[in-house]
This record gives sequence, C-alpha cells and structure tokens, in this order.
Amino acid sequence: MIRLINGALFRKFKQIETEVHELNYLFWECTTRCNLNCLHCGSDCAKDSKFQDMPLADFLAALDTIESKPAHFTVVLTGGEPLLRKDIETCGREIRKRGMRWSMVSNGLLYDKEMHNKLLNAGMGALTFSLDGLQQNHNWLRNNKNSFAKVDLAIDLAVGSPRLNFDVVTCVNKRNVTELPDIYTYLLNKGVKAWRLFTIVPIGRATENEDLFLTDQQFKETLDFIANMRKLNQLDVKFSCEGFVGKYESKVRDSGFFCRAGINIGSILIDGSISACPNIDRSFAQGSIYKDNFYQIWQTKFEAFRNREWTKTGECKNCGDYKDCQGNGMHYWHGNKENVLTCHNHKLKNALLE
Amino acid sequence: MIIKYYESVKTSNYMSKNWKRNLIGGLSFTSMLFIFQACYGTPHDVGYDVLVEGTVKSKTTGQPIKGIKVAPYNDIQQVFTDEYGNFSFYILADYSIGLRFEDVDSTLNGGFASKDTVLTNLTSQMFVNIALDSK
Repeated sequence: MIRLINGALFRKFKQIETEVHELNYLFWECTTRCNLNCLHCGSDCAKDSKFQDMPLADFLAALDTIESKPAHFTVVLTGGEPLLRKDIETCGREIRKRGMRWSMVSNGLLYDKEMHNKLLNAGMGALTFSLDGLQQNHNWLRNNKNSFAKVDLAIDLAVGSPRLNFDVVTCVNKRNVTELPDIYTYLLNKGVKAWRLFTIVPIGRATENEDLFLTDQQFKETLDFIANMRKLNQLDVKFSCEGFVGKYESKVRDSGFFCRAGINIGSILIDGSISACPNIDRSFAQGSIYKDNFYQIWQTKFEAFRNREWTKTGECKNCGDYKDCQGNGMHYWHGNKENVLTCHNHKLKNALLE
Repeated sequence: MIIKYYESVKTSNYMSKNWKRNLIGGLSFTSMLFIFQACYGTPHDVGYDVLVEGTVKSKTTGQPIKGIKVAPYNDIQQVFTDEYGNFSFYILADYSIGLRFEDVDSTLNGGFASKDTVLTNLTSQMFVNIALDSK
C-alpha cells in the first residue's frame, strides 16, 4: 500500500518538476578534444577534434542570460577531456564569480597534484572520475596502457580533499562484470565514498564492439550486485539514472527513475547548440547560443523533453510500465527514434524468464 | 500595466507550483529529489566554501610583493601572489582558517620573514591584507 502511494506521489512530483522545469544542472561541452581513444566513446571524441574549443567568453555570455539561479546551480564541465583546456582554471573562477558552482567529469589522465591544487583554488566543488575496471580491464576499455596508473593517483588526490563531492563511475561491460566485487574492494580501500555504475549506450564507437554490451543475465547480476552492496552500507553504490529498472528501482538507487534531461538538466554543446545531456542525439538541439537567448530557449522550448508522449512507439507503445518509465532515458532515442535503443526493464524481465 | 499584471500572475503561479513541488517531494519520502546527478555528470556541489582574497605588501616600502606563497594550515592547497601582491582561492569553510605567508623564492622579489594569521568569523568572502617584515 505504502509503495503504491509513494509511486503515485513520485509520479505527481515528476509532473510538477516538469511544469516548473527549474534549470539547476548545466553541462558545458567545453572541448571535444580527448587524450584517450576509449572503445566505448559515445561522442567519438578524438585527439584532433573537428571543433575548436568553445571560447570561454561565448559560454559566459550564454550563462549570463540565466535570470534566476537556484541555490545549488551547477555547471558541469565535460568533453572530450576538459583538462586539455589551458584555461580550465579561469573557466572555473569565472563561473564562481557569477554565483554558480562548478564541477568536472574527467578521465584523470592529466589530474596531478598541481592540477588538483589549481582547480580547488578555482572553486571546484564536485568531481567524477571514470574507472572501468582494475588495471587490465580499465586500460583495455580506455585503450591506453597508462590509464589505470594515472586515474589511481587522481583518485587518491580527490579522496584526500574533503571539499570535493567526489564519485567514481564505471561502465559495466562483458569483461569487467565479474570483476565488480574486486573493484568494490579497491574503491573501499582507497577511501572512495560513492560509486555509480552504468551500462554502455550502443552509439558512436561503441557499436563496433560486442564485448561492451551485457547480456540480459549479466545485467540482472549487475543490479543484484548493486542491491547487495547497498545493504552493506560501506560505500554509496548506485545504478545511474540511465534507465527504468522495474522491480529493482528501490533497490539500486536513492530515488525512483526520473530522466531530468530538459527538465532540470540543460547543456551548451561544443558548436553552441542548446540541448540537455551531451549524450542525447544532437537532433534534439533546441537552439544555438550564437543565434538565440539561452535562457529564453530553456524557458520556452524543450517540448520533446517535457512531453514524452512521442516515445509511446515501438516497444514502449503498449508497455504496462510506461507511466513510470516514460520511454527510458532520453539518450536512448537516436536516429529515426522509432524505438528505444535499450529497454532495461525488458532486459530484466528476459533474465528472470531464462 | 498589463505586463505588470502578467508578471504578478506568472510569479504567483510559480510560487504555487514551487509550494506543491516541495510538499509532494517531501511526502514521497526521499531526500534526493532536488539534489541529483545526471547519468554522465558529477554529483551536485553541496559543500560550503570561502573565497579568501587579499594583498601582500612590504611593511617597509608599502610595495606589493610578488611570489609569496600563501598556504592554509594542514592543506594541500597553496597559491602565490601575483605582481600586484594579490592572491585568491576557495577553501572549505571551517570554524577558522589558518594561513601562512612565506617567501619561498629567496631574494628574487626581496627577502621577507614569514607570517601566520588566522581568519575567524568566516563569511563567504574574506579579505586579508598582510604586511611582511624584511629579513
């Protein structure tokens, strides 16, 4: 009974959040250059990007259009690899000058003591590093033999800074799925407090490699692992907000599935496009900072994000869980958008039937 | 007049929605509703920090000193003063912040004795002006 009431309240909450659509989380794809060549990269980033890094002034001009900023408004610097920007410290300071917080997603390759010091001085308050396994598996996915050693040092630095709200993310794949308990122990020994796991979206470079995608059974095992580790209460382990997972919802996350793309999450992409999470199909762009007023676009557009009825197609069309799932994460709609790329809920149901 | 009316209706609608939002969010028994993280993003920054800014000058000449190391006690963080003697950095808010000002470039910008100071009654932005004695 309580579960039903909670479910109904949560659906109502999502509806109100969508109506209010308060922007409080903004990605800035500040570069698409990258110093790695990961096997699973969804954005096909490369050392020589076809795009120049966005000038800081262009981004700030868009940021300055935002009329009301909630208390925890955060700008998330992402890429590519944000640390390849020489002016990363200045970027952070300018964001803080405007009364906003900032954070960064990094592969950790360039994150040394000097960089750590510079970014803390510039007011960085949250940080995420990618770790996709222990040495062998991480280096395989990251396609670089030094990648693990570097991120290992970077994690030590981040853990040592109480100022940072820091977590580690792991892309679970066929190679590292059996290694999850060892990664858990490694992170625990390192003093890491939070670990987020997600699966790989079949887009970009990832589509070329079958090893990257979990079988239905492996996916269920991953969620079982998360659920079991959460019971231990030693480390804040969770499944990312990437998709709806049916009966596992309350076991693998702090709150129910809610894709906030375009509802609370916006982005300014490398070419100036205005959208939501950077991994969402670029055809969903709502405007450009070079032609439009960013905040006006946020306030008045984003219809496809705020009314997801259009996702009632393909396998979502007659799904009994649609009211809670609403088409899964927006980043699972690519190309002709006639069907969701992955349905986590179906994967789980299939696994239970096996 | 019409614009003012429109603005007031818009504000009252927003307040009403925000009220409902907080109520329903609270009733659904989860504390993480407003503080979330995007799947490929970072956690929100919910910490408290202080912006410490200031200038370091020579007590003897009143001139700004470049290259003075400014470091909080027991912390990895440090900054150096620029050519105008200015420095600035963010640091985790605590009851107090102890700072050490140290001349680490030998006689390159003159020789100065180190100095310590403790900031108390912290606000989100603190200004510190320090004068260093010549060695």
